[in-house]
Amino acid sequence: MGYFETLEEGTAQAYEVAIEARKKGHDIETEPEIPLAKNLAERVEGLVGPPGIAKHIKELEEEMSREEVAFEVAREIVTSDEVMKADPGNKDQYKIKEEAADQAVRTALSILTEGVVAAPLEGIDRVAIKRNFDQSWYLAIYFTGPIRSAGGTASALAVLIADYIRLSMDLDIYKPTDREIERYVEEAELYESEVTNLQYSPSPDEVRSAAKHIPVEVTGEPTDQVEVSHRDLERVETNHLRGGALLALVEGVIQKAPKVLKYAKMLKIEGWDWLGDLSKTKKSDNNDGTDEESKGETPKVDDKYMRDIIGGRPVLAYPQTKGGFRLRYGRSRNTGLAAMGVHPATMEILEFLAVGTQMKIERPGKGNCVVPCDSIDGPIVKLRNGDVVNVDSVEEARKIRSQVVEIIYLGDMLVAFGEFLRNNHQLLPAGWCEEWWIQLLQKSANYNDGQEEELNQYLQERITARGAFDLSKQYQIPLHPDYTYFYHDVTRKDLNTLRSWLNHDIDDINIEEDLKVNIGPEKRILESLGVPHRIREGKIVLAQGDAYALLNTINQPLNTEDDISTLEALNQVSPVEIMAKAPTYLGGRVGRPEKTKERMMKPAPHALFPIGTNGGNRRNIVEAAKKGSITVDIARCKCTNPECGVGSMQAICPVCGARTVPTSSGKKRINVANLLRKAYKNAGVRKLDEIKGVQGMISEEKFPEPLEKGILRAKNGVYTFKDATIRHDSTDLPLTHFIPREIDVSPGKLREMGYTHDIKGEELKNDDQVVELRIQDLVISEACAEYLMRVSHFIDDLLKNFYEMEPFYNVKTKGDLVGHLAVGLAPHTSAGVLGRIIGFTKAAACYAHPYFHSAKRRNCDSDEDSVMLLMDALLNFSKVYLPSSRGGRMDAPLVLSSRIDPEEIDDESHNLDTMEMLPLELYQKTMENAKPADVVDMVDNVKKRLGKDEQYHGLIYSHETSSIHQGPKICLYKTLPTMKEKVNEQIRLAERIRAVDQKGVVEGVLNSHFLPDMAGNIRAFARQKVRCTKCNKKYRRIPLTGECTCGGNLILSISKGSVTKYLEISKELASRYPIDPYLVQRIELIESGINSLFESDRSKQSSLDVFL
Amino acid sequence: MTDDIILKFADAEILLDESAYNKIKSYDASPNLVDSLIKHMTISSPEMMVLTGKVVDDYLGQSTSAMIGSTYSNNQRAQMKLVPQDFDFHILKDASHKSYTNGEIKDLSSYFKSRYHKLRELLTYKRELKDSYSIKEAMSRDDVIKIVGMVNDVRYTKNNHKIIEIEDESGSATVLIHKENHEVFEQSETLLKDEVIGIIGSRKGTLIMASALVNPGVPRIDEKPMDFATVFLSDIHIGSSTFLDKAFDRFIKWINGDFGDDNQQEIANNVKYVVVAGDIVDGIGVYPHQDKELTIKDIHQQYEEAARLFGEISHVKIIIAPGNHDASRLAEPQPAIPEDYAKGLYELKNLEFVSNPAMVSLDGIKVLIYHGRSFDDIAMTVKGMSHQQSDLIMKELMEKRHLAPIYGERTPLASEIEDHLVIEEIPDVLHTGHVHINSYKRYKGVHLINSGTFQSQTEFQKIYNIVPTCAQVPVINNGSLKMLDFS
Repeated sequence: MGYFETLEEGTAQAYEVAIEARKKGHDIETEPEIPLAKNLAERVEGLVGPPGIAKHIKELEEEMSREEVAFEVAREIVTSDEVMKADPGNKDQYKIKEEAADQAVRTALSILTEGVVAAPLEGIDRVAIKRNFDQSWYLAIYFTGPIRSAGGTASALAVLIADYIRLSMDLDIYKPTDREIERYVEEAELYESEVTNLQYSPSPDEVRSAAKHIPVEVTGEPTDQVEVSHRDLERVETNHLRGGALLALVEGVIQKAPKVLKYAKMLKIEGWDWLGDLSKTKKSDNNDGTDEESKGETPKVDDKYMRDIIGGRPVLAYPQTKGGFRLRYGRSRNTGLAAMGVHPATMEILEFLAVGTQMKIERPGKGNCVVPCDSIDGPIVKLRNGDVVNVDSVEEARKIRSQVVEIIYLGDMLVAFGEFLRNNHQLLPAGWCEEWWIQLLQKSANYNDGQEEELNQYLQERITARGAFDLSKQYQIPLHPDYTYFYHDVTRKDLNTLRSWLNHDIDDINIEEDLKVNIGPEKRILESLGVPHRIREGKIVLAQGDAYALLNTINQPLNTEDDISTLEALNQVSPVEIMAKAPTYLGGRVGRPEKTKERMMKPAPHALFPIGTNGGNRRNIVEAAKKGSITVDIARCKCTNPECGVGSMQAICPVCGARTVPTSSGKKRINVANLLRKAYKNAGVRKLDEIKGVQGMISEEKFPEPLEKGILRAKNGVYTFKDATIRHDSTDLPLTHFIPREIDVSPGKLREMGYTHDIKGEELKNDDQVVELRIQDLVISEACAEYLMRVSHFIDDLLKNFYEMEPFYNVKTKGDLVGHLAVGLAPHTSAGVLGRIIGFTKAAACYAHPYFHSAKRRNCDSDEDSVMLLMDALLNFSKVYLPSSRGGRMDAPLVLSSRIDPEEIDDESHNLDTMEMLPLELYQKTMENAKPADVVDMVDNVKKRLGKDEQYHGLIYSHETSSIHQGPKICLYKTLPTMKEKVNEQIRLAERIRAVDQKGVVEGVLNSHFLPDMAGNIRAFARQKVRCTKCNKKYRRIPLTGECTCGGNLILSISKGSVTKYLEISKELASRYPIDPYLVQRIELIESGINSLFESDRSKQSSLDVFL
Repeated sequence: MTDDIILKFADAEILLDESAYNKIKSYDASPNLVDSLIKHMTISSPEMMVLTGKVVDDYLGQSTSAMIGSTYSNNQRAQMKLVPQDFDFHILKDASHKSYTNGEIKDLSSYFKSRYHKLRELLTYKRELKDSYSIKEAMSRDDVIKIVGMVNDVRYTKNNHKIIEIEDESGSATVLIHKENHEVFEQSETLLKDEVIGIIGSRKGTLIMASALVNPGVPRIDEKPMDFATVFLSDIHIGSSTFLDKAFDRFIKWINGDFGDDNQQEIANNVKYVVVAGDIVDGIGVYPHQDKELTIKDIHQQYEEAARLFGEISHVKIIIAPGNHDASRLAEPQPAIPEDYAKGLYELKNLEFVSNPAMVSLDGIKVLIYHGRSFDDIAMTVKGMSHQQSDLIMKELMEKRHLAPIYGERTPLASEIEDHLVIEEIPDVLHTGHVHINSYKRYKGVHLINSGTFQSQTEFQKIYNIVPTCAQVPVINNGSLKMLDFS
């Protein structure tokens, strides 16, 4: 049986059990509520419909591209006979037209977003046919806030689809009035000043032009309580900001103008040519700023990632600064899809980087996730005793960590070619590395195939300096990277100084022993070159290899006359070619910390059962039951048995046992004590101290969960989410290959699951063989495993006691979870993806195949999402619990994709490199700053495998990682308890990293974190709301009565503490470091402002009171 | 005689201790001494209002008996002026050094109670509300309803009637204004959250149907004779790269009699007071990346530069209130700019610092100074109101008798125990700034003045298409407005 068949069979079994359980009638629906979808077409039908569309989409896909299918489907929906016949003047028939247009937009948008994202459901409120002032009919599309989840391109295309529908329905264009146009201009500015920044800030003229020319009305419901001054327009229903419409207009149509234009041309939709002018006049858009950089030009410094320096999130390297991360091309089995490799020794020494920690980086993208890779270069550090050490293992890093006084080089960052491709960022010169050197050797004219064995030997063991020079001479290739130092980081004069200093005591440069030299200022040059050395008995000791390499490279004084670089001058004298060790340094700072944690709502309920304020602050149902009966807002259900007809709030009539149907909801008196007593009995639980419910239901029908589920969740220590599923959230990390030992699963167990062979084609017998990961298999964190075990116990209890069936999981140890099915689900989406648990990682992350993350529309730059057990989703999920508010259907498993088709997932994963070694030509092209699109032919990636069997296996990598969870598992940000300690460590680190300016970091933290925070909170303090401690009601302004209508106490919503929390530390930083006086004064002003708000003048005046 | 001395000092809000009292009493020319001491105290050290024996000694030591004989103690610069000036200057209301809040919820509560009581008093003074009662009581009555409440919310029903949520200390009520009731409906267009109004109407179930809305209002005031000129400035923004230094130099020259035509010079000679309604400097850290738009990045030096410029004005009295760019707290009322930041200005003997807002008396003319931060909120919420026509906003604020009614939006309000922003007494002049656009209106005898700016159009204003009126200075000369252009 094939892999997918195994998964499908397991899924079918789970459904069978769930169907049987649901049939018992304890839930509102008598069958599982998550339809299975094998592919995109079925997901679209499952999410937005219309019924039967899946088959048609599949037919169309045969001959068209995805985008064309979307537009064609939309056209067909609105041009059916029924719709065409309908007369817009007739009220009912007009509605037919509107509904068809609405359906068409949603279905088409769903196709464009792979049938995963919630935007087609939640991002569009409605589509309306409205009248221009000249009485012609036009189309209006009402966007809502969640359109954001569609992304810029899809929301822009939604507008284009709407226009295509308008054309197909033969409606006129939207003719905006001047006031309506200015309204858009005002809203765009107001949104940025009052709500949040848009990804792209358009000029007023850009908005004006777009608003004027878009042939449909882009409007929407109010999203923010901010009023505009262009009020009471006849055709705009709200005077508040229309956030969704702005997103579609600005981040959609305006920002993605070139793409929209491309599609409009492709589909021959007229009336969009004005976009051409727009994209020309568009202000340079820094997000894709690299488009403008022409080939061969040196890239500009981009310090965007440094613009906001946050307290406790250290800057690790300034942009393009000596000592920063060295760019190394390649992919390891745990990198790609925005995850990048760093040597675990670097992570250990920095302590602020753990497996899965996010970094904001300079290039090629904006962010990444850090994963360990130990086949690349580690850091070069200087110790307290003066030693300079090349750290290449975690053990050594831990040993010397406390003695590090300077981090001279941070080591490599392993960046896949695919990252450059995805960001359309010009290639940057590659660091000089072994894989490049070896290919030069192989391609050399003097090389023949018979020498392969000899060559392998060089790769196995460390090459000697003399050997390296010999090879370079023999094959006419540059010197091996091990003996190539960071020459370009020092001056020619430095090298000459160094040369005479080293040569002082020796007569022969072919030295055979370690070289001892007297300590002098020249040591700093050695440090800058990254040459390891020790201090022994007051002398500097250079290892023989390094001494040999230096003496033989700088074998004559360099030319300091001509205007040439250090490297050029060096190559004039060196007997062999010397390459630039680190032509590209990457800057970066720590971003969001890694995460793996159970999903808890605040406060976290065990059951979606409303008890009002009767359960106290902890919403304890046991507490509420002590009151006997309570009044709550809850569903009313009516018994379907005509002879009974009793009203209740359960799915089964408590009197006659027949099914009930919900009729309405309202205040009702319920006897919780009685209900709880019965539920204890049904659940087979004697008594619990705490079962947490909710204050009120936020769903439409307010149908409560059976109390038994809450009892059993409480018993097993698990919590429910708003949709009655139990989730565990982790940072997403990619994985294409694993080693049985590292994921803590035996080869035997793996063979049972179909892992029969390793990557070399050998049978899987040992726990250290490298195995390729199947695309829907998951390696979950140990915390996640621990939680899911408890969930499985809950499910088994539920099946046994509540549904009276056999237990399903029978999990005793975490190893028993292996092979069980789970559902991955990301926020902003509404389609779960089926996965299978195959192992465990110590990292605080969920390792899964890049396809799996992509199928959820996630990448690995610190996105996080949830995993739940399949049976939990099938038994307990119900649409009836979903919040009725906007966005309520996001992050809910409305359909389940059982099979991942790499062609139908986000195309980001198509950029994943699948090569054992990047080709020599590519390294050479990086030196020319080639555009990735121009050299993509040289690279084997997923895109080239799509539609073939190779898309599922053979996705090989170029750099080995001995363990996917080496290095710290929790970063220092999370272990340090207070902001003060975090900031102190951040600054201490800044002191030690050569590529970071400490003063700049202090100023940055103040400027972009502490000062804005305090200023914002002072402002907020003086216009704050108040809140009732008893019923939690909020008041915009304190009532004159001074108390809540419920009689409860009112308290301030912004405490003094939140205003002053960064004041002390800011003052301390200002006094300790020589920072910009401007900042010092700002702190002083803020302090006096704070004092004025919190200290009465009366205390200062008390001495005067004596006279009064 | 004894009572005379104490009363005079009490009127000037100066405390005196026993030794000072005995010293003054024993001085043979004490009536004159009392007057000149009061002048001395209010001019030289407005923050120190306790007269001790030592101060009296110091004063007597430094003053000649001739000077005590005059009613005004001149400083050196003032002696150089052509016509000796006789300043009858008083600070009538000032919130500096009266910030009694600890930032606790009880302070917030007493702040709004204070607002309600002050305005309620003004409202119930009116004939039509003389016999008003509490909301709680109103809801049990069937005859005409007369209540005074603070507005909580204003919104529309589906049928476009207007709903006002209103409250007092007894409870809250919902008031409906029928859209066919044109007069009241139109009046309600300018209703603001958190203002205090009177409502007359009838009860219909739990609703009150309004038949009239009553503002605290402004009675017409009589014109007072003014035989001098007062200059109104604001938003000078010294330190900003867009500060119009040349224009400001021309202004200084003019006030010193060295600039302008005969007519203008004549006005200059008549100038007795200069009032600055905030934003004398551009400040620091007021908005993100402000440092890029500053020529002086040091707040102390900004005020030093202000001291240099204002120091050249010698023969007139200068009164300065803070604005949102100044080195005072942001929340209103803003205490006077502290001496720590403006040493140079404090050394000028002819200069007075007051709070924002503050009421001063200039030779008997009452000037209410308010920077104008609340205009932002009102321009945003009321149809037909804009920064361009701040005179319309000022008129509304006068009718509502409150300078910043809306709570919780852009204008930060400090939870002072007393609401200093209530306009308890009708001024002769209401002087504001902040919007950088001049406006003037005479309303029921009150001069409503917005004094524009000495800052050219900023980047921010460019984006929002705000065109400032630069270097145009309003002057009230002998009771009528003159606009002088220094651009």
